[in-house]
Amino acid sequence: MAQRIVKPKTNLGPGFWPITALIVVVSLIMSYFTWNSAWPIGLIPAGDPAPATDFLFKFLGVAAAWIFNIVTIYTIYFGIVFRQPKHAPASTIGVQIHDHPVLEFWWTVIPTIMIIVLGIISVKIWADIQNTQGDVLTVEAIGYQFGFQFRYPKLAQPVSGVMHLPLNTPTTIHVTSRDVIHGFWIPEMRIKADMVPGLVNTLRVTPTVPGTYRIICTEFCGLGHGAMKTTVVVETQQDFSKWFAQQGATTGGGGGGAIPLAAGKADVGKALFGQKCSACHSTGPFDQKIVGPGLGTIFNDPAHPKLVNGADPTPQNVAKIIHDGYSGPIGVMPSAQMNGLTNADIGNLVAYLASLSKK
Amino acid sequence: MATIAPGVKTGPYHAVLDHIHPEPTSFIRKYIFSIDHKVIGIQYMITGGLFFLIAGMLAEVIRYTLLQPQGQMGISAATYNGVYSMHGSAMVWLVIIPLVTGAFGNFVMPLQIGARDVAFPWLNLLAFWMFPVAGVILFSSFLIGAPDAGWTEYPPISVQGPPGTTLWCIAIFLIGVSSTLTGINFIVTIYKMRAPGMTLTRMPLFVWAQFATAGLSFIATTALAAALLALFCERVFNVPFYDPSRGGSPVLWQHMFWFYSHPAVYIMILPAFGIVSEVLPTFSRKPIFGYKMIAFSTVAIALLGFSVWAHHMFTSGMVPWLQLPFMIITMLIAIPTGVKIFSWVATLWGGSIRWTTPMLFATGFLITFTLGGLTGFFLAAVPADYHEHGTYFVVAHFHYVLYGGSVMGLFAGFYYWWPKMTGRMYNEAMGQWHFWITFVAFNCTFMPMHWLGLMGMPRRVPIYDPAAWYVFWNQFASISSFVLAASMLLFAYNFWSSFRSGKIAGPNPWGARTLEWMISSPAPYYNFKKIPAVLATPYDFGNPLPYLGLEAAEGATEATPTHSSHPVPTY
Repeated sequence: MAQRIVKPKTNLGPGFWPITALIVVVSLIMSYFTWNSAWPIGLIPAGDPAPATDFLFKFLGVAAAWIFNIVTIYTIYFGIVFRQPKHAPASTIGVQIHDHPVLEFWWTVIPTIMIIVLGIISVKIWADIQNTQGDVLTVEAIGYQFGFQFRYPKLAQPVSGVMHLPLNTPTTIHVTSRDVIHGFWIPEMRIKADMVPGLVNTLRVTPTVPGTYRIICTEFCGLGHGAMKTTVVVETQQDFSKWFAQQGATTGGGGGGAIPLAAGKADVGKALFGQKCSACHSTGPFDQKIVGPGLGTIFNDPAHPKLVNGADPTPQNVAKIIHDGYSGPIGVMPSAQMNGLTNADIGNLVAYLASLSKK
Repeated sequence: MATIAPGVKTGPYHAVLDHIHPEPTSFIRKYIFSIDHKVIGIQYMITGGLFFLIAGMLAEVIRYTLLQPQGQMGISAATYNGVYSMHGSAMVWLVIIPLVTGAFGNFVMPLQIGARDVAFPWLNLLAFWMFPVAGVILFSSFLIGAPDAGWTEYPPISVQGPPGTTLWCIAIFLIGVSSTLTGINFIVTIYKMRAPGMTLTRMPLFVWAQFATAGLSFIATTALAAALLALFCERVFNVPFYDPSRGGSPVLWQHMFWFYSHPAVYIMILPAFGIVSEVLPTFSRKPIFGYKMIAFSTVAIALLGFSVWAHHMFTSGMVPWLQLPFMIITMLIAIPTGVKIFSWVATLWGGSIRWTTPMLFATGFLITFTLGGLTGFFLAAVPADYHEHGTYFVVAHFHYVLYGGSVMGLFAGFYYWWPKMTGRMYNEAMGQWHFWITFVAFNCTFMPMHWLGLMGMPRRVPIYDPAAWYVFWNQFASISSFVLAASMLLFAYNFWSSFRSGKIAGPNPWGARTLEWMISSPAPYYNFKKIPAVLATPYDFGNPLPYLGLEAAEGATEATPTHSSHPVPTY
């Protein structure tokens, strides 16, 4: 007989409020320690986004502690007080309650509000990180199997091994890869980006604490993945300049400088062409395409009097395409930065291409 | 008994078995190429169980390697990479997905909706047999060089990977087709074959979970199939889908892979939610709290699950502003998930709880899954994810949701439905020991990975920082994982001895109220001699059973309910 069940009048049981008080006390204690810990992740915050990330982490930690305590402590408490007494028949039933709209309303609305607050804080911190000042120093980090190289402006050759950053200098790090996907992680600065071949990802950081910190690869990249680590040295501006000078800084080359076209050597360029260009470009005429057009007659082709970007075929304009890369109707070519080419390399390549066209 | 309720359709379903195909008698048709959903469900369970054994041993090889920081255990990096990749791939595609859908979905769902089989039994047979074939193909890649780039197989490294990676593509493609077919089959079954009177809001919550899951498998798997086909073509025919130097994009794979693999997370967890939603009311002896909200949140999670895939890719390289919608939608999933968790806790309140093994696992699930969900929040918040991505923190997180969630739910389901599958009871004391050892060893294995990751240990490494702190926590995790593996012996022995000499269970040992408990154990070939009419939700323990026209199995009717003698006032 399907009886209509009258909504039972319920009270919450003897220990409910003391247990609720326990949950509040335990959660408050956990919140206090989370909130006041200097290093919530366990690592020193050594660079600019780190304090913001740590703040978010603390906020998440406090919210998680409350929810975890509510769920766990009530579950255990209900499990104990509402267990079936030993000698009760197994068919003994519990309170036949189906729902409680007010309670359900609140446990939907309160987490929603929490999520909105958390969302706002996350977006705010995210925006701060995205808008972090960087451009005082721009470094390029290139991953390869299994190590890192760093290119600094005005250094003709990339630096292998250890990265150096000057203290308190807003720095932009462009990361990319020469082969497979790698990761670039400085745990102490809470920054990470994947190093993806054919793509440049950007990180911004201002190192604030001098010291030596780890750089770790976080994407599987092959047999040597576990050993793909290096360090970053954060040092004063003076120490940095001293180190920089030892790396053979030149005024002629580098990111902002001119490309040394006159110094280009065709034989060096030829070897470089084999390594860097020949996967996509033949040395035949324009129409002998692999991915991009053949480059054998680039300076002297009556059928194509202009370069692919519409410029005149001068050495300067060819160098510009190699330097900037190309993106247009016939395809995409990565920039020199992504191809791992220095300005000296570009000069050598242009000299080689010019030697081809003369033949 | 009340008269048939208004709106209950009588029709062909209501007919007595007038047209019976005789039960096959040959061994092959009965147990190997059977079209009976119950046999297929058990076939999935046995096959998935074997793969679980293999994939679990691979996990122990991983933990064994990490006992020492610099590879002193003698496992080479190449072996290690193959082992962890196969562990992940097998656990996801050969263990959890087939077990939660193929095994439990097949065995339980048609019984719960009062059907005699799934809608397309031959399709079901086909879908099942793709599964062991895919498994054999996947594991045979060890013979020619196992894939080494993890279960995610990101190109370009996977394009250059060992020859076994091609077999990996084939095996996962096959299992994807199988999963899609099962999805279609379940959608039609649940939509068209419910017993008369079983409206959508009278369906057991496990059926709701299977319904949402089937939709996910059906829609999302195609994206994976396309990605796999492209990877296969790139490896075998040198078609540059993913090679950046020839105009491809490595990030394309990541989008397509995660467009499937994030919904796949819900394919793996929603059925476990369904199992827990059956076990908790049965052993609390009270209705599930907030039935409609749990059913609705299941669908909401499935729908939202389609628009969050790029939260796996916050560091991969995409337009920065695009990270925000993915972060916000990911956080929104916490709302329906929270509703479920709070409803389960409220189901315990005021219950008359019997602490049986399935109930222990369901409650353990509640605690460990909550923790896994909360760390999910740490990963959803983009700035925090910049720190955590690709570290052991992520490993800890997904083992809490997949082992602490899906596998705990699976254990609850195994113990709960074991009597229905075999007609015998397992050993309760041994089951409870299994739970406690699993619960403690699981937490000791994966909890330290949270702080290992935050402090700087990346994923997928055979060697790590030799500082004493890292070595200690890795050894702690490894030794705990050995205990976790050993607890499986208890589980296996329990079911083996129960199968041989367990107590006869009877049709309804738990006093449960869903339809599968209304027929004898093990369930007869045609399930229901007469399809019953359904008058109400199955969870009203205070009311008479809401079924009409059931040919009562012996002892199937519940004893008259006794009200709780508990100090807490009820009515």
